[in-house]
Amino acid sequence: MTEAADLKECKLKHMKCELNVLSKSDGSAILSQGETVTLISVNGPLDIKVQNQSIEKCYLEVLFCTKGGRPSVPDRYKEHIIRQTCESAIMGSLYPRTGITVTIQELEDYGGLLSCAVNCACLALLNSGLAMRYVFAAVSCAVDETGNVILEPTYQEVMNAKARFNFVFDSRNKNLITGFSEGIFSEAAYEEALEMSRAASDLVFTFYRDIVTKYSNVI
Amino acid sequence: MTHACNLEGRQRLQTSIGAVLIQLSRFYIHTPRHALHYTHTHVDFRCSKYHPFRVIHPVRYFTSYIERNVRPDGRKFDEHRNIKLNINTIKSAETSALVKYGNTTVICGTKLELAAPKAEDPDSGFLVTNVELVPLCSPKFRPGPPSDHAQVISNVVSEIINNSKFINLKDLCIVSDKLAWVLYCDIVCLDNDGNVVDACITALTASLKTLSLPTVTYDPETEEIKVDTNNRISLKVNGLPVATSFAIFPNCERSILLTDPNTFEEEMCGGNGANITVSWNNGFLCGILKSGGGTLSIEQEKEAIKMAKERTL
Repeated sequence: MTEAADLKECKLKHMKCELNVLSKSDGSAILSQGETVTLISVNGPLDIKVQNQSIEKCYLEVLFCTKGGRPSVPDRYKEHIIRQTCESAIMGSLYPRTGITVTIQELEDYGGLLSCAVNCACLALLNSGLAMRYVFAAVSCAVDETGNVILEPTYQEVMNAKARFNFVFDSRNKNLITGFSEGIFSEAAYEEALEMSRAASDLVFTFYRDIVTKYSNVI
Repeated sequence: MTHACNLEGRQRLQTSIGAVLIQLSRFYIHTPRHALHYTHTHVDFRCSKYHPFRVIHPVRYFTSYIERNVRPDGRKFDEHRNIKLNINTIKSAETSALVKYGNTTVICGTKLELAAPKAEDPDSGFLVTNVELVPLCSPKFRPGPPSDHAQVISNVVSEIINNSKFINLKDLCIVSDKLAWVLYCDIVCLDNDGNVVDACITALTASLKTLSLPTVTYDPETEEIKVDTNNRISLKVNGLPVATSFAIFPNCERSILLTDPNTFEEEMCGGNGANITVSWNNGFLCGILKSGGGTLSIEQEKEAIKMAKERTL
């Protein structure tokens, strides 16, 4: 087991994180996974427009700002993925008639931007102190021409891959919260990729624990 | 579900009305359908969206059905709605298709245009798909620029079609670096009763499968283009992509997969369309998208993939 974990550890990109990077937001985090870097700020619960208010739960707004700055349809899709993921994790029913804003700024993209953004969002939410059901971890992987599954592919590997996956798991039972695929692939490849990512998500959770213990002297 | 304290008043009211209505609904659910036949002016609201129990306590209404292993519209958990397909409904479009999944109605029309290929990809044509959710189809949508939800659906549909390699874009090229077809596929949702993505994929594949391209002659010296619309070659397609969507209802011990969800079921499972969409083409998967809803165990996910595969056979 330890050997297998070690093997996977080399494959996951090196992660570095800093919390509370922005002074004015309720929670913020900057995370780098390899060369890919994102910065996220979380604000909330805030007052929002009456038409968006829900008496059952909070309204979650996710804004994705690319480096280029121009919004596009694929960005809306990324926002949707991140919003759905955060929505399932945040205990929204504790904040009725309010809004929570998650703003994502892409700083560098060398492959695995979406998984980096999701992980960074989780750290920013932890930092903001909003009540959550569980924490979540995203792992990206790719299937190359020969059918091998590569965890956390580099930019070059992403470009040459036959299929790319992004998986998000919860910390409780390692169930799949969000999954997203690109390209064409076989069922066996999908299952292999899913299992590898599920195992690798442990490393991300360990990383979260390290970061939180570093920043909070109470726990 | 947890509510804040200032919601208590409303909740108390809901519970008292709900208690009465639960009794009422038990009567309805246990009574066979034929025994409750209303004549003339009375509306049979047992399955209607105006059922008072459903309006006041939608979650309890829904779970009371789910507990009895049936869905509010009488389907089993893994049952699809009836599909109706009508080809070439619009005469002014190149090809078109009208698809109905139960009440969900989607219409797709294709348009052809000529353009110069992109410089970085001189041998490929263009396939442009767009999904519109007009205010007509649901009270949730307002007039104006496409909503986030419409953009997401549009992106999902074009991703599935592009990933499945249903159309080889190289087939749309006429002269390398000079001339290529632009294939516009405009999909409009006329009635949104859930599972729009599946309906869009069916409409899109049906209209692309029936499409034939006019022959074009291009003179490289004079750059003159001649289009012969009488002489047509049908567009080569690869396989037949089929998308199957499920809603995942987060039940206490085990999540429940609901095949081909309608709007009410989608709302009960998060309210942002279906939760998992599995697409197959030619024995390969060309998209597994999961977002929101309950969490899925490994077996249930395999089950969803299997059910989607069976549909393609």
